[in-house]
Amino acid sequence: MGKQLGFYVDLGKCTGCKACQIACKDNSNLPLGVNYRRVVQYTGGDWVQDGDLYIPAGVYTYYVSVACMHCANPLCVEGCPTGAMYKREEDGVVLIDPSKCVGCRYCEWACPYGAPQFDAEAGIMTKCDFCVDEQAAGEKPVCVAGCPFRALDYGDIDELRAKYGDFADPAPLPDPSITRPSVVFSPHKNTRTSKAADGQVMNVEEAI
Amino acid sequence: MQTAEWALVIYTILIQMAVGAFLILGAMHVLAYRKAGAEEADRLSDRALYAIGPVVVIGVLASMLHLGNPLNSYKVLSNIGSSWLSREIAMTILFGGLGAVFALLQWRKIGSFAVRTVVAVLTAIAGIGLVFSMSQIYMLPTQPAWNTFGTPVQFFTTALLLGSLAVGAALVANYAYLRSRGEGACLETQGELLCTSIRWIVILAVALLGVELIVFPITIAYLAAGPVEAVQSAAKLFGEFGVLTVLRVLLVFVGAGVFGLFLYRRLRDNSPENFPAALVYGAFALVLIGEVVGRFLFYATHVGINIGV
Repeated sequence: MGKQLGFYVDLGKCTGCKACQIACKDNSNLPLGVNYRRVVQYTGGDWVQDGDLYIPAGVYTYYVSVACMHCANPLCVEGCPTGAMYKREEDGVVLIDPSKCVGCRYCEWACPYGAPQFDAEAGIMTKCDFCVDEQAAGEKPVCVAGCPFRALDYGDIDELRAKYGDFADPAPLPDPSITRPSVVFSPHKNTRTSKAADGQVMNVEEAI
Repeated sequence: MQTAEWALVIYTILIQMAVGAFLILGAMHVLAYRKAGAEEADRLSDRALYAIGPVVVIGVLASMLHLGNPLNSYKVLSNIGSSWLSREIAMTILFGGLGAVFALLQWRKIGSFAVRTVVAVLTAIAGIGLVFSMSQIYMLPTQPAWNTFGTPVQFFTTALLLGSLAVGAALVANYAYLRSRGEGACLETQGELLCTSIRWIVILAVALLGVELIVFPITIAYLAAGPVEAVQSAAKLFGEFGVLTVLRVLLVFVGAGVFGLFLYRRLRDNSPENFPAALVYGAFALVLIGEVVGRFLFYATHVGINIGV
């Protein structure tokens, strides 16, 4: 197997400011409703009443920045009927060839991360391309470059895992065993895993 | 629900009905052949066979409506090595192509009986492969509501149930046509063949109704015990779409079960006099609507594994 590029997110540093989401949207000039990178707010815990007071009982929130995971087992590539969705040999980046896409939207059903998104005007699917053009010009992906907290990083997934560990299972993301995403997270102190997800996604409208 | 998904409802229902009809019509043809010989068997089933063609064509055209960029349709066979969607389309072409060849041979009576039988059997096998590959498309690990044994079982049940009742309706229409043309010589035989065929079709439809009534609650129980997305799908089926779910079960029950029972009692004496044509058409119409509602619910209630936005 060749090289595999991946993303790294430090959930402890992320404040949910969504600069990455906006940097991406701006760079790729994305229409309303299409966001290759999205920041999901995950919240849990309760408030208990004590007389006239409401006291937080284990209330927590953290944010998970999600783009295409350029998975080792990309169900979108496997199911694509035209071969428009493909995994690039040299760096494992999952890309769409717009000249082949038939717009059947099957990849949308297959992907648990919501990475392939439909461009209604062009009638084809679009997705995060890991800023391959920027990288070829020696620059970072714009989401990584745009993060004011240095919470995002990218690189060879083996190197990222050696440096940051191999945690890839923060709620509300799906169990990583399904598609084996090329991603590493440093957990937030309150991070739940997919199997122990006791919170819920809040303020959905900010991520769509 | 968007146009795109209605296109899939129409495509899957029509194609499954066409495959089921081809299989059932084949069985009825063999039955008639044994009872009354090749000529009477052809007279019974040929027109129904030709009617399957337009059903397939309309289904395929409907499937185009769910494509954002249909100009690239010719590329959809490219990933046959790993994509069930590619395989489904390949099987559609195979089933449609072989079926068209068979219909042509049958129409012009080209080739020996054995040759035509071989083509028919190959078409039937392609049809079974087509319904199977259709079901595999939905068996995604990221779609718990679809990724159950219920999907292939339901697709095959829909194929045979709709197929059998469609054939029933076509045979009744064929008999009415023969009578209107005044082909007196054959009417008696054809009437008997019709009654026998419809009786078998009713038995089959009731059995398939039984399969649906057993598989449906088992699938629901399986979803309710599954991951959170599966539970959400089951909840949508009985909450937001509860009325349609009940309607769907009722329509199929009344169409295949109640109408079937009446038909069976009326046909006991094998007499084509006062043939209850309306009951056959009615059963077909009710089950067709019921299965369309069922397929709509299939697309409308699935919840995929996702990131919550």
